Amino acid sequence: MTRLLFTFFLIGISFSAFAQKKYTISGTIKDSATGETLIGATVRIKEMPSNGTATNSYGFYSLTAPAGNYTLLFSYVGYQTIEKPVSLHADQTIAMALNSSGSLTEVVISANRPNNDQITSPQMGVEKLNMTQVNQVPVVLGEKDILKTITLMPGVKSAGEGNTGFYVRGGAADQNLILLDEATVYNASHLFGFFSTFNSDAIKDVSIYKGGMPAEYGGRLSSVLDVKMLDGNDKDFTVQGGLGLISSRIKVEGPIEKDKGSFMISARRTYIDVFLKASKDSTIKGSSLYFYDINAKANYHFDDNNAIYLSGYFGKDVIGLKNTFGTNWGNATGTIRYNHIFNSKLFSNTSLIFSNYNYVIQSFLSDNNFKATSKINDINLKEDLQYSLSSKHTLKFGVNVLHHTIAPGDITSNSSSSFNDITVQQRYGFETAAYVSDDWKASDKLTVLYGLRLSGFFLFGPGSFNTYDAAGNVLSTSTYGSGQVAKSYLNLEPRLSSSYQLNDVSSIKLSYNRNTQNIHLLTNSTTSSPTDLYVMSSNNIKPEIADQVSTGWFRNFDDNIFEFSAEIYYKWLQNQIDYRDGAQLLVNEDVESQLVYGSGRAYGVELFLKKKYGRFNGWIGYTLSRTEDKFAAINDGNYFPATQDRTHDLSVVGIYQLTKRWSLSSTFIYQTGNAVTYPTGKYEVGGLTTFSYSERNGYREPSNNRLDIGATLEGKQHKKYHSSWTFGIYNVYGHRDPYSITFQNSKTVPNTTEALETSIFATPIPSVTWNFKF
Amino acid sequence: MKTFKIVIYLFSIFAITSCTKVIELKLGNNTGELVIEGNVTNATGPQIIKLSTNVPFSNTNTYPPVTGASVSVSDQNGNTYPFTEGPSGTYSNSQLTGSSGNKYTMTVTSGGKTYTATSVMPAVVNLDSLSSMNDVIQTSDNKKVVTVYYQDPADVTNQYRFVLYVNSVQVDDIYAYNDQFNNGRYVGIDLRENTGGSSVDKGIFSGDTVTVEMQCIDQPIYTYWETLMQEQANGPGGSVTPSNPPTNISPVTLGYFSAHTTQSKTIMVK
Repeated sequence: MTRLLFTFFLIGISFSAFAQKKYTISGTIKDSATGETLIGATVRIKEMPSNGTATNSYGFYSLTAPAGNYTLLFSYVGYQTIEKPVSLHADQTIAMALNSSGSLTEVVISANRPNNDQITSPQMGVEKLNMTQVNQVPVVLGEKDILKTITLMPGVKSAGEGNTGFYVRGGAADQNLILLDEATVYNASHLFGFFSTFNSDAIKDVSIYKGGMPAEYGGRLSSVLDVKMLDGNDKDFTVQGGLGLISSRIKVEGPIEKDKGSFMISARRTYIDVFLKASKDSTIKGSSLYFYDINAKANYHFDDNNAIYLSGYFGKDVIGLKNTFGTNWGNATGTIRYNHIFNSKLFSNTSLIFSNYNYVIQSFLSDNNFKATSKINDINLKEDLQYSLSSKHTLKFGVNVLHHTIAPGDITSNSSSSFNDITVQQRYGFETAAYVSDDWKASDKLTVLYGLRLSGFFLFGPGSFNTYDAAGNVLSTSTYGSGQVAKSYLNLEPRLSSSYQLNDVSSIKLSYNRNTQNIHLLTNSTTSSPTDLYVMSSNNIKPEIADQVSTGWFRNFDDNIFEFSAEIYYKWLQNQIDYRDGAQLLVNEDVESQLVYGSGRAYGVELFLKKKYGRFNGWIGYTLSRTEDKFAAINDGNYFPATQDRTHDLSVVGIYQLTKRWSLSSTFIYQTGNAVTYPTGKYEVGGLTTFSYSERNGYREPSNNRLDIGATLEGKQHKKYHSSWTFGIYNVYGHRDPYSITFQNSKTVPNTTEALETSIFATPIPSVTWNFKF
Repeated sequence: MKTFKIVIYLFSIFAITSCTKVIELKLGNNTGELVIEGNVTNATGPQIIKLSTNVPFSNTNTYPPVTGASVSVSDQNGNTYPFTEGPSGTYSNSQLTGSSGNKYTMTVTSGGKTYTATSVMPAVVNLDSLSSMNDVIQTSDNKKVVTVYYQDPADVTNQYRFVLYVNSVQVDDIYAYNDQFNNGRYVGIDLRENTGGSSVDKGIFSGDTVTVEMQCIDQPIYTYWETLMQEQANGPGGSVTPSNPPTNISPVTLGYFSAHTTQSKTIMVK
């Protein structure tokens, strides 16, 4: 595979040597009203339809063409397309500002010309979320949420009701690389997964890669969720916010220096704990239960070629029972980025990224007094370069070095406590990577995006490292000093994604990618929990490896108004991790002795029909898939359905602009129930009725289905301010989706056992939010 | 570390609109497997090994005895104690009283197959005392917790199992702990009866008589009970994927063989 890519590369480069005299146009595309850079806006030459490009993460584009007179088309979804004549006889810079045509009070969006990017782009397995749509999709308790919306896409499955964990093409929840302005977010959920850490007020762009990942991304097996924050309005000061039933939020943005720099600060806090005050129970009355988060960003453009961006996120969850227990956990991230445009062809970005996740659990009882803490610290230095070699080749290459510090657990207590002070050794590791990729327009019909990523992992001392046998017993112990490498792994990851255009409205695509993962989440609970523990690859844990092939057919209908795609994927997974029965994962020096290793496979078909334009828009996504694991110690070494296996997964989203002020939206989902292990019999030991089990995940929970509706009423347009109301009903027909099923002795009929189903949100949940902007 | 689970369990108290109902499920019928429950303790009196089989989930909680088996226990000094069959699948021996440090081997022959298991009886850790106090979780129910106190020895790893009886009725919960977090400490462990959601008549209340049996168990038996305990802890904190706990019996069948010490104390809850 690697050699094939290299050959591609050589052929590609040699072609361009014979090219005639060419010039390059470059620049930045922005929103005319706010000055926000637009990511993925397209620039095209009208006279040469196949010659086009899209802006990168910083709104920068570079387009090369033979000398001549042309008309440039600048377009972006939800914006008016602009045509600009150019006379190309030298390299030149064109900065463009586009007008948002989807201005909320306008119904007709005619100027917004649909394009056929989906047909021509070589990238497959990618979904981009439109933030306007995210804001209209109804969600539980009115708290709009990009992670919940993402799970309505084919191939992306929710980990369960009230859970922001998600599974992509059969991958586990920890196999998603979740990035917020390039910083890894370790725990993307608030309050045990009922809300995501992403405040959609602060978000500019969301993309999820399910397959054919570009070589610049690495470190996780299944997907990349790339979330970018808004830069802030560099024209005017604005304040916007919302008051909801359980939370409120506010955002302030404005120029630091007009057209040169801006800032944005967005914050929100829940107030469920206000309701606790009403409780008759004195303990609950004095309890706390809330989260808050803050997103902040600032940027400054020194000149056309130099810009600096600072962004940060801080979030915390606090749960406490009066004078008894307390717990809090949170993420903090910070990113410093420096953009430099060397010339019209070469764009550079240097990033220094910090990420921290920690949790604290405290008990204040005299017998059981303790404080347990755990944390992860990352420092990451990245250099990414984009070089527009010619009209046929755009190269991307870069390096990054990521240093992890993991403090798995630390317990401190006072003298009257039953607990000892315990500190589990910290672990240190470097994840390093170098990559190169080429977006090659091989012909008018064939486009190939291919690349190679070399990833290295180094586990460092100081510390002592146990090696365990298959039964989990210590075989040997090695001690390493500071700076000594305890274990290292090197992996070559080829990436390929290509598109062959059959005609103006259809194309076929093919992709292959290998991904590796060196940081692994250990949790033996089925929902996301603050006490989730991360470990790195080591002398016992090998890097997880995934190979995925996928192919798809893409077809647009009705002048590109409807987009249809059908994709098939097959994925092989190596070095997957599971736990021994009765595994003790928390604050355990020998946690690696609790693990067993196996393999997995996942395959499926995804169908997607989307209407992006018009008064009525939305999509239908359907996935038929299978995900299986294989562990020697489980199920007699045979394949068994993974927890995230879902046979059918259907989502339907519709948004309708009823009048100038009213818009309606609705979501329907249907999913096969989770694969679960149910008892196949019962017996008695220790005076207790106990259940016996045969095969792992041999049963299915009942299927889930749910209908949600929402409506938005825009206030009358005032010069100075604007307001809107969002109404929603979650689970309109009150369907009971099983959250968990437990087996126990019957409470009503003595001497028998029963299955007890617990549901949350089993009744329609109304919500209302008032939003304002001035 | 049950405390972690309690913290996570708190969320269920605040749970927004959760509700439960009993449902009918079509479950498999993998029954008729041999269940061996072998115990050797340091108490005098007959040692009992019980043989039965498992039954379908939908049956009543009555388990058919297995009769006609040949059962014996031997120690590392070459002494063999034959167990004689009594009523309802119980096999007993009155000569054997277990001693700490001894390794015991159980041999059961039933249905043409011979099963063996070994267990080492740990040293006795003294059950110091019991106390009771108001439960700090869900105070409005006026429930109580019973705390068991003991001095954990620092020089060895210890594992414990507690069996809780409220007014002479054994509660459905499993309590298995080791000294991972409190080696060498004077330990107080809160035992609360899990009420499994809405039922308010379950639990420990003022005026109840509570008996706690403390067993010192070996490592494999601790893993056995700990696995069962984790599987019991369902709720919004999530649950582990259940499985048959790892047994020390070979070839694998349901049940266990445990050589453990036993002592009990009783308290009147104020």
